[in-house]
Amino acid sequence: MTDALVLRDVKKTYGQREAVHGVSFSVEEGEIFGLIGHNGAGKTTLLRMISTILKITSGTISVYGKDVATQSDDVRKMISYLPEDAGAYKDLTGRRYLTFIANFFATGEERDRMVEKGIELADLGEKIDSRIDTYSKGMMRRLLIARAIMPSPKLAILDEVTSGLDVINAYEIREVIRDIAKSGVTIVMSSHNMFEVEMLCNRVGMIDQGNLIDIGTPEELKTKYGKNNLEEVFVTAVKGA
Amino acid sequence: MSHIANIIKKELRELLTPGSVASVLIMVILFACLGGLIGDEVSKSTVLPTIGIANYDEQTIETEYGVWNAHEVLKTIYLNSGDKRITPDNVDQFVLTMDKNDILGQMEATGASVVLVLADDFKKNIEGSMEEYGSDAANKEYKKGVIDQYYLYQPAGMISGSISSATTTSIITLMNTSLSAHLTGPDEMLYIDFLKNPISGTSTHTYINGEPYDDVTPADISNALSSQSMFVPIIIMIIIMMIGSIVISSMGSEKENKTLETLLTLPISRTTIVTGKIIASAIVGLVFGAAYMLGMGMYIGSVSSIGVGTSGIDLSAIGLTLSISDYAILGVSMFLAISCALGICMILGAFAKNYKSAQTMTMPLSILAIIPMFVIMFSGWYGSNIMMRVLLFVIPFSHPMMATEALLNGDLTLVLSGIVYMAAFAAVAILITVRLYKSDILITGLSQNKYIEMFRGAGKHKKS
Repeated sequence: MTDALVLRDVKKTYGQREAVHGVSFSVEEGEIFGLIGHNGAGKTTLLRMISTILKITSGTISVYGKDVATQSDDVRKMISYLPEDAGAYKDLTGRRYLTFIANFFATGEERDRMVEKGIELADLGEKIDSRIDTYSKGMMRRLLIARAIMPSPKLAILDEVTSGLDVINAYEIREVIRDIAKSGVTIVMSSHNMFEVEMLCNRVGMIDQGNLIDIGTPEELKTKYGKNNLEEVFVTAVKGA
Repeated sequence: MSHIANIIKKELRELLTPGSVASVLIMVILFACLGGLIGDEVSKSTVLPTIGIANYDEQTIETEYGVWNAHEVLKTIYLNSGDKRITPDNVDQFVLTMDKNDILGQMEATGASVVLVLADDFKKNIEGSMEEYGSDAANKEYKKGVIDQYYLYQPAGMISGSISSATTTSIITLMNTSLSAHLTGPDEMLYIDFLKNPISGTSTHTYINGEPYDDVTPADISNALSSQSMFVPIIIMIIIMMIGSIVISSMGSEKENKTLETLLTLPISRTTIVTGKIIASAIVGLVFGAAYMLGMGMYIGSVSSIGVGTSGIDLSAIGLTLSISDYAILGVSMFLAISCALGICMILGAFAKNYKSAQTMTMPLSILAIIPMFVIMFSGWYGSNIMMRVLLFVIPFSHPMMATEALLNGDLTLVLSGIVYMAAFAAVAILITVRLYKSDILITGLSQNKYIEMFRGAGKHKKS
């Protein structure tokens, strides 16, 4: 299997404070990889570094063999990043927003096909032609996931993708993520929801205070820590770390 | 569609919302209405008031040249005033004869706002003084006839309220001239006028850019220039502040809605994002600025058409006019000033945490736009001392504000050096912006910056 993402001894320093301490792991092509950790553990910082929007203090990150620090333009052509609580331009309609994004990836008929794919993924019905500021949180999330997946990225980076959503919306979003993964897109996601991570992810990395404290499939981790679910695994791992 | 065009189109859609367009249109309409209101107010003040004249017994002065009648003279003054409402048929409605014993009652009843009351010894004093002139008496005393002015105070605007008394003073001056001519006779009057002013100093010649021009003084030119160009700094200030607010708010919104993070991970260069935002903001700023200029133009047009703030000097007739190349230079100066403003705003906007904090960040830009506006309106570049000139030169927005005056004075060096300075300033500002877009500050803000943390660390160390 090809490595879609490789992190080697990645560190991030804010001033004199080290937020990420030498994290290393790799994600294989087509895999759904979950990062779990409490608030401020360093998950978002890691995802932002992978997404080229934060500089790496030391270490290396490569996406499909391209170095994030030195080949960021090439990396950005392969990735799609969905930040936590991300928004969209509220004065635009859903369709215009998707068209705006698609214009950066394609032109002409290819662009139009991409927009149609986005509209299909968003599944917002007639609301796709309404202004975004009239959307509910669930609708907004669907639009943003459609935006992220529409250009067929090789690697999708999703930060707390179901955060703040009700049960139905969260369930539907998870279904969308499963479908995306089936189409061959590699997914790196972070979440507080251990149940969600356990259901969706092929492998999980546990982050605490900027350190990667363990990594493995949900089954491997449950067996290793002798627990019934990932939540108990995480609590045990953090307290024992 | 190119990436930069895509960014520009999106920015324009966001910035040109029905709300923002409506607010600018309302401002334009307000300016136009304000001009109309002031015009009406000034028009009211320039028409003659209904006037009463009281104490009939004192109104006539008889001499060898005939009979002088104050009431008739007043009517003649009104008929020759140029006020188109007054005709020989209706002049008696404007000039009323009144009883001196109930002035207030008659004013309220007739609507007259001014009453001239000839004092009881008006006729006696004037005729007595004329006799005194012909006598051989030592220590001659010439008593004047007294006219008392009575006004009825009514709340009025600043302009119409202050001009009614000035109009009455002018009327009394004309009555004085009329009575003088009557007392001395027409020939004698000319002689007296000669005796009072034997020297004529009204012929003036001024050298402008080396060429002599007749019947114009430097003060006339200054007044004409300032009346024509005093609004230029205001308009430039409005454009700069408007563009600044638009750019910084746009950055604040991007951060607040977390759309910036998405934008930064798209396959486009940071330079394209920065340039797209700058161009879109400049377009919107110029459109809104043009709308304000239109509104202000209507306001100035309404006011100046009735003679307020104009000097009556035709600047083009004395060679003080801008050529096509001057306008081109002025346009370049304006464009570069806007570029500098955008550069500063993009830097400030990078530090905005959200829309609200972005609003407070427009303050430094507003100060930088207001300072040169006031200095240039009140003293100008040529009237400023060296310290003030340094300040004006350093602030890039000063240059288009003072370019008109400099070009009219043929001072191309000042204008071109300003253009070179602004070009360098804008280039540096945009380079800094691109660097900021490539740094973590855009996402993490200043709080996570190593220099800020070092500073805080030093502060804590000192405290302990």
